[in-house]
Amino acid sequence: MIWHITKRELYDHLNSLRFAFTTVLLIGLMIVNAIGYLGEHTAQSTAYQKKVSASLDKMRSNADSLYNLLTEGPGPLYKKPCPLSFCANGGETFIPESADGVGEGLFMTSSRFSINTTWRMKYPQSNPSLWDLMPDYTNVDWGDIISIALSLVAILFTFDTISSEQERGTLRLTLSNSISRGTVLVSKFLAALITISIPFLIAVLINLFLLYTSGSVPLAASEWGQLGVIVFIAFVYVSIFLGLGLLISSRVSSSSTSLTILLLIWVVWVVLLPTTIGALTSGLQPTMTHNELAARQQSLASRFFEQYDELWRKTPSREIPATEETLLWSKYLTEDARDNEKLNEEHLDAQIAQVQFAISITRISPASSVRYAIESLAGTGFTRHVQFLEQVRRYAGEFRTFLTETDRADPESPHALGPKEGTSQKPVRFESIPKFEDRISFSEAYNAAATDILLLLLFFVVLFAGAFLSFIRVDV
Amino acid sequence: MCLTLIRRELLANLMTFRFLVAMVVTLSLVVANTVVLIADYERRLISYDTAVKQHYQKFLKRASTYSEVEGEILVDRPPNPLSIFNAGLDRRLGNSITASHTFVPTLWDTRSHSADNPFLNLFSSVDLVLIFQVILSLLALLFAHDAIAGEREAGTLRLTMANSVSRPIILLAKYISAMACLILPVVMSLLLALILFSVSGSISLSGDDWFRISGILFTSIIYLSVFYLIGLLISVVTRRTATALMLSMVIWSTLVLIYPSLSVFTVNRLWQTPSQLEAAYREIEQIWEAFEREQTDFLRNDSVDGEDPNFNVPPSGSYGAYQISDPITLKYFKVETRLWTRIDPDSEPQIPHVKDYFQFSEPRRIRAAEKTWQVRQKTLDHVYVRKANVAKNLMRLSPASMYDFATEAWAGTDFYGIENFITTVQQYRQTIIDYFYDKKAFSSRKWFSIDQGKVDWSDLPQFSYHRADVSTNVKHASGNIACLFLINVALFMTTFLIFVRQEV
Repeated sequence: MIWHITKRELYDHLNSLRFAFTTVLLIGLMIVNAIGYLGEHTAQSTAYQKKVSASLDKMRSNADSLYNLLTEGPGPLYKKPCPLSFCANGGETFIPESADGVGEGLFMTSSRFSINTTWRMKYPQSNPSLWDLMPDYTNVDWGDIISIALSLVAILFTFDTISSEQERGTLRLTLSNSISRGTVLVSKFLAALITISIPFLIAVLINLFLLYTSGSVPLAASEWGQLGVIVFIAFVYVSIFLGLGLLISSRVSSSSTSLTILLLIWVVWVVLLPTTIGALTSGLQPTMTHNELAARQQSLASRFFEQYDELWRKTPSREIPATEETLLWSKYLTEDARDNEKLNEEHLDAQIAQVQFAISITRISPASSVRYAIESLAGTGFTRHVQFLEQVRRYAGEFRTFLTETDRADPESPHALGPKEGTSQKPVRFESIPKFEDRISFSEAYNAAATDILLLLLFFVVLFAGAFLSFIRVDV
Repeated sequence: MCLTLIRRELLANLMTFRFLVAMVVTLSLVVANTVVLIADYERRLISYDTAVKQHYQKFLKRASTYSEVEGEILVDRPPNPLSIFNAGLDRRLGNSITASHTFVPTLWDTRSHSADNPFLNLFSSVDLVLIFQVILSLLALLFAHDAIAGEREAGTLRLTMANSVSRPIILLAKYISAMACLILPVVMSLLLALILFSVSGSISLSGDDWFRISGILFTSIIYLSVFYLIGLLISVVTRRTATALMLSMVIWSTLVLIYPSLSVFTVNRLWQTPSQLEAAYREIEQIWEAFEREQTDFLRNDSVDGEDPNFNVPPSGSYGAYQISDPITLKYFKVETRLWTRIDPDSEPQIPHVKDYFQFSEPRRIRAAEKTWQVRQKTLDHVYVRKANVAKNLMRLSPASMYDFATEAWAGTDFYGIENFITTVQQYRQTIIDYFYDKKAFSSRKWFSIDQGKVDWSDLPQFSYHRADVSTNVKHASGNIACLFLINVALFMTTFLIFVRQEV
């Protein structure tokens, strides 16, 4: 019987104006997305390779002495572009693509000697494009097509399912047969889901066909898996709004009121809330401001100046074992690099905490959840950036250990890392230096998406249960 | 008769559930967002005040000779209080810029003094105009879709016409009453926002600002009228309310949500950055090479042996000669700074030569900077501004974007508002140069040395910025307002013509 009603509803839907609209809208958006991202990944990968090899060349030229490596650091470390960026752009323009392990350069010269600072990690503040004149806009990527267009379509298909039948009296006819109300509801839900999934799947296939045949996106088994999960998420998300539509439609007797309420809920929940709540909650948890950071850097510098006031009269030397003066220089340079790096990290951590707090609150809108889930699976967005930063920190530790150990292996060095005199100046074998490679971990991607998927399922269950309960009590 | 109709329609609209819901939603969103936006404005104001103070103190501390002033005069753009209505580019673009005689500042040289957590750009801000743009246009369509079609279905249209009412009067009555209902939430939102402004106390509005806010109100009304008329046209054309509703929603989602994003996305992705940057960069390099040639020629031809720009004066203090160049933004200039702490009596005869040198080179440096600016301005406009303009023109096919641009112009947060700040900074740079000429700074000993005391900056004019006056706002808003108005007229005429000839 379910199938019977579903079939009837399906025929109804397929002949309607909204089906034509849905088809045109989804296919159009997906084609625009494909055209927009044609060749994008290839260009990004080439740019990435170029930057990485430039960074490695710099490291190779620094490998002529351990001291150079110590002062110059590993150089900029780049984030690898993901092939699935057409699924979710994840605000890439607002997120930096690298972290820098660099030195501060020459900081003191006198006639007798010059000192270079030791390298430390610096995290570029994300690129706010201070002269980007383009108007604000939503990216046309899968995430936005799904979160905005698909949910609107779901509402358009369900706002009158119950109320219009009630208005016309056909609901009474249907229920006069020996059919349970649950069956009617489920079959209406299935019919709408199938109707939407037809144009959506066609649009997705056209999109992938364009991207795949043009060779711009290399799709391996793992990518197909991720795309499959993304499509599954899209279905769950659509079901949420179908549930919402059924709920409101069965509560309200006139279809026009039902659509009004649904559209207002939709505009607030999907379009306005994700950004408003983000801006609102970030105000609740302020970070270290620009000025505070500058003040702390200043106070750090003056603390060192007081603590090491006798340093400027001391000259490091190459004597073995290291003299007290060399050791003092070494201690100062190491502490300077360490404390400044710590400050940078503290600043970064505070910023990340603020954004993560805002992100977790925005999850009250399923539109945010679905976007975050797709971003995690596509390997873009903020979660991915945090994973990248973790790898960078791990690598920074490795690089530091490598420097200490290589210096220890050199018998001609006084083992006082920092000043030129205290550090090994032997060339380092380039191959032995640890290199940074950004790895995209799929298990982490699925883990990060899992919370959002569960949340979406929860939304669906609650709304569908609500629709069921309210439909059972409907007076026909 | 008209009045009776209007009253009936008004009551019919006001008593509906959808009006109540839309009103509650709009007002609560407006209140929540205004609170957030005011807090954000206050934060930016504090950053601005701190930045101004810090920059001035640093300038006094660092600039002890005239030449050391390079890069030390930083001027800041205060946040615009009207950005609460339409944020535009006010928050996003850089708000701190260097004024110096060695280069002419442009938009591409700005930095930001208030980006405490740039990651937060991930959550784009919602301003009051966006709420009107999205929610009230939806409400306008919801009012309009069944205005005619609904009455036709119910048969009441025929009844009304049976009286001696002409068709234009019916249309007009419906239009006036619906607009009255739409204006109500706009006015109430603005009032609420203004009450919150006065409660916060940090926002002071001038007389001009009131005019600008009424401009925003006026534009909002015209915009909502466009959407109401679109709905009315649909309602006249279609036979069934359900069809009218579906069609309205399709058009609304396309015009308000999909089309603007689609056009920016397309331009962003498909725009090929013109390759003029390289040619312009080479041209600028040549300007500065010519300048350097002049300098070396001067050093070669003067009466002192050798080409040392320090004229064999033994080093003390600091000496800097560097070049800043960036092929992406075409920033390019060369600087020479001196801070000699003492001058031996033996070197005293050389000092007139040093003075001559700077008197010769600095005016030429200023000229080179201005030539660079001419090349730069043209190229950067072509490369970066044109792209944004193409995107904007494409977006203009949607009335929602026109509304956005018009209110942006009213608020002064559009491109021209920011450009106005840049122009003011360029004028301030001229003031600094005039000040240098006034003080004969280039031929002064204090240009390079502090052995006879530091420069006294107390009479250097301070930078102050005032937003452009209302006429500029009107000028830039008027195009879009005129377009919106014409759309209104065209829609009304079409609806009228169709309705008059229709069988009921």
